[in-house]
Amino acid sequence: MFSTMNKILFFFISLTLLLSSCIELIDDLTIHNDGSGTFKYTINLSASKIKVNSILALDSLDGKKVPSIAEIKAKANSFAANLKTQSGISNVTMSINDADLIIKLSFDFNSIPNFQSGLKAAILSIRDSKQSDDSNQSNELNQNWISWDGKILKRNIPLMSLTISEQLKETDLDLLKTGSYTTICRFDRAIEKAEKSTTKINPSRTASMLKVNTYDLQKNYSLIDNCIYLTPLKNK
Amino acid sequence: MKKFVIFLLSLSFSNLFSQSELLIPRDAVTVFSINNVSLLQKISMDELVQYDFMEEVHQELFDGSTSEKTLKDAGIDFNQRLNVFYGKSDDAELSGFTFGISNTINLFEVFDDFEELQSKYNNVKIFGSFFNNLIIKNNTALLIRIEPSSELIDAQTDSIWYSRGNSYPYGYEGDEFGDEFIFDEEAFNEDDSLSEPEEIDFPEALEDPTEKNYFELRDSVQLELQKGLLSKLLDELLIENANLVSSDAVFKEQLTHPCEGTFYLDNSRSLGQTNSLWYFQTVMPSLYKDIKELYTGNIILGDLFLKEHSIEFLVEARYGEKLGSIYQEMNDSKFDKNITKYIHKGNSAYFTYNVNMRNAYEKAYEVIMPIISSEKNADIAMNVMVLELLNELVNKDALFETYRGSMFGTFNGIKKINTKKIEFYYDEETFEYGEKETEATEDMPIFTIGFSIGRADLPEIVLKNLGRITSKFENHDDYWVLNNAILDAAPLYMINKNGLFIFTNDEDLALNHSNGYGSNSLPKKIVKELKREGFMNGYIDIAGTLNRFPSDLLNERRSEMINSLKGKSGKMFLESSKTTNKSTNFKLTYEFRGDENSGKHLLDLVNTLYIFSK
Repeated sequence: MFSTMNKILFFFISLTLLLSSCIELIDDLTIHNDGSGTFKYTINLSASKIKVNSILALDSLDGKKVPSIAEIKAKANSFAANLKTQSGISNVTMSINDADLIIKLSFDFNSIPNFQSGLKAAILSIRDSKQSDDSNQSNELNQNWISWDGKILKRNIPLMSLTISEQLKETDLDLLKTGSYTTICRFDRAIEKAEKSTTKINPSRTASMLKVNTYDLQKNYSLIDNCIYLTPLKNK
Repeated sequence: MKKFVIFLLSLSFSNLFSQSELLIPRDAVTVFSINNVSLLQKISMDELVQYDFMEEVHQELFDGSTSEKTLKDAGIDFNQRLNVFYGKSDDAELSGFTFGISNTINLFEVFDDFEELQSKYNNVKIFGSFFNNLIIKNNTALLIRIEPSSELIDAQTDSIWYSRGNSYPYGYEGDEFGDEFIFDEEAFNEDDSLSEPEEIDFPEALEDPTEKNYFELRDSVQLELQKGLLSKLLDELLIENANLVSSDAVFKEQLTHPCEGTFYLDNSRSLGQTNSLWYFQTVMPSLYKDIKELYTGNIILGDLFLKEHSIEFLVEARYGEKLGSIYQEMNDSKFDKNITKYIHKGNSAYFTYNVNMRNAYEKAYEVIMPIISSEKNADIAMNVMVLELLNELVNKDALFETYRGSMFGTFNGIKKINTKKIEFYYDEETFEYGEKETEATEDMPIFTIGFSIGRADLPEIVLKNLGRITSKFENHDDYWVLNNAILDAAPLYMINKNGLFIFTNDEDLALNHSNGYGSNSLPKKIVKELKREGFMNGYIDIAGTLNRFPSDLLNERRSEMINSLKGKSGKMFLESSKTTNKSTNFKLTYEFRGDENSGKHLLDLVNTLYIFSK
């Protein structure tokens, strides 16, 4: 039996497979000098409303149950509720605009380790026991996809994203061609340089933006990997 | 000349009355019989075995132990008919097929896991493999699977289980106050663990290993019942010579038709097995008996004909006099010529359905009310009273003028339609982002469905008031529009003109052709044909419709059906005859172009029908 979490995961995978229009993902991370910060994550499916709503109207797709909007909302709220209880995490907000199909998550954290551990714990809380036992999925959760030493921010693509993308068929991948993944990083002080030459840095050099095509990203995961070097912290 | 040869071949072989059909059990309700000879001269076995309808045959035959083999390796005599059947009685479900044998050695290379069982019948060998049995009589064979109904198995098992002094086998029987256990279906479906087979709480092994637990006992009961049912069926077939051919003159006559395949479905017998009638059957047996009587003679018969550039499937729906009288009244309707104005001559698919609901209602009231009125049941009596009062109080003229019963539908392919989307824009100074609404386009199948209406004022009352409730309803000069009605994204247009009420997502129809397509509507010749023919007609341009149909969004069964016809470049026509009180005839013609093997086209159609009927 397909677990509820798997159904929801399947639903989102199916969406990416079937969306001939596009999916827009934005991840926006603010890190202050003391390591605290804010994380915002946005999924925008509004350009594919007909397809998404067609799928949601089905009982099942490819033999798998399609979750209802209510089920998706309940799961998302359960995730947010758990995230609120995690140490070092605060101001959690989760909104689902079901008219335009936009999902937004935002929360503050007091340190990068708490950011990662809190997120992992919240993900674990909505997984069933079988999934938690799965060694691949445990590896995914043991991975640190972000590191910060006060000067350098290093980001990788989460292993979980790799697992999902490996399940995509070649024919499905064509459908990702018009989607985009944007990652934004904001800091209190100036950015010295970014490892990826395609990274845009704003005029005040306090924010970076890297935008990649979802199809290209699936073909080359390292496109989203980046190292951002900050100028030294001035001693007061 | 070719057609003549095919006809002769078909005729001669059909009339041979090859013996395989004499092994079809009389309890079979659905039979699909393939006249192998005339069919196989047009289609290779390699192609044949790839079809869905052959898949079940293969599963029964090969069960994975003889991979790479096909029917042609199975020692089957293709000079005899291949008959696939299915039936269901109160006690059991049976399925299988009958065929001729040309080479027994080859046959058992395929049926290698069947073991010979003792046979009490002369010149008959019986073989078994789990619940499948192979019965060979002379050069014919019956492969059959009989499965006793779970109700029968449970009843027998419970009887033995409790008579042995055992308690409730599942460990829970309500609480001590006798509260009923309330089954929460939603929670059951939600809770995955409940659906996991390995999570089922089986009764624990008993202390005495020779004593069977409930499920072991149930398995034994199932096996014994299966043996008993098979024995009864074989006695009928092999001693009494009672088979479907001997017991049903209609089926016997059907087999004499000179065609490539025949289809038989006895609705009157399958009615009793319909789960929806379970309530009537158990609570109101006399009413059920009357309903069953109403369905007496309700049989669907079909003949498949393969022609040089077309395939014809002739279907005759037969029914008893009472039911027939309702159908006759319903289908005795003048064709609404306004319908054809709204079917564009280039539409890749359309149907028309032309009935008279008022006549059908009056006749149904006349036929059915005496049946239900005679039932001595308080609930039914109340329902009868309500129906009689409604019949007197409701303004039937207004009701049936609003919904006359005639309708049409069209499919006009996939079009890009305009929708709105939210786009994120970025401030180049800060990389902060905001949302803005912009135009987008998405693919959508374009459908139109329209109903004949004599009271255009009534839907206007509804629409006008809905328009006051929500701004999503907008009134334009020629049409109404309900914004974001379809999948929360696309508008639905409503046209209330010319004696028709039309729903469509075709913007062009609503904005530019609210009075019909004029000279671009269906040609006069086709309109004349539609007027002349019966209550239901249809047309599909395969290439223009099915190849563009968004099968991703259909359920599995419908998607299979569509896929089985994809890649074709023919046209399909559905015509119906005038309805009498005994029958209605339908003719489905599939015309194809090109040099592709015509047998392949036929099997594609057969496959579609198989998927449709399974």
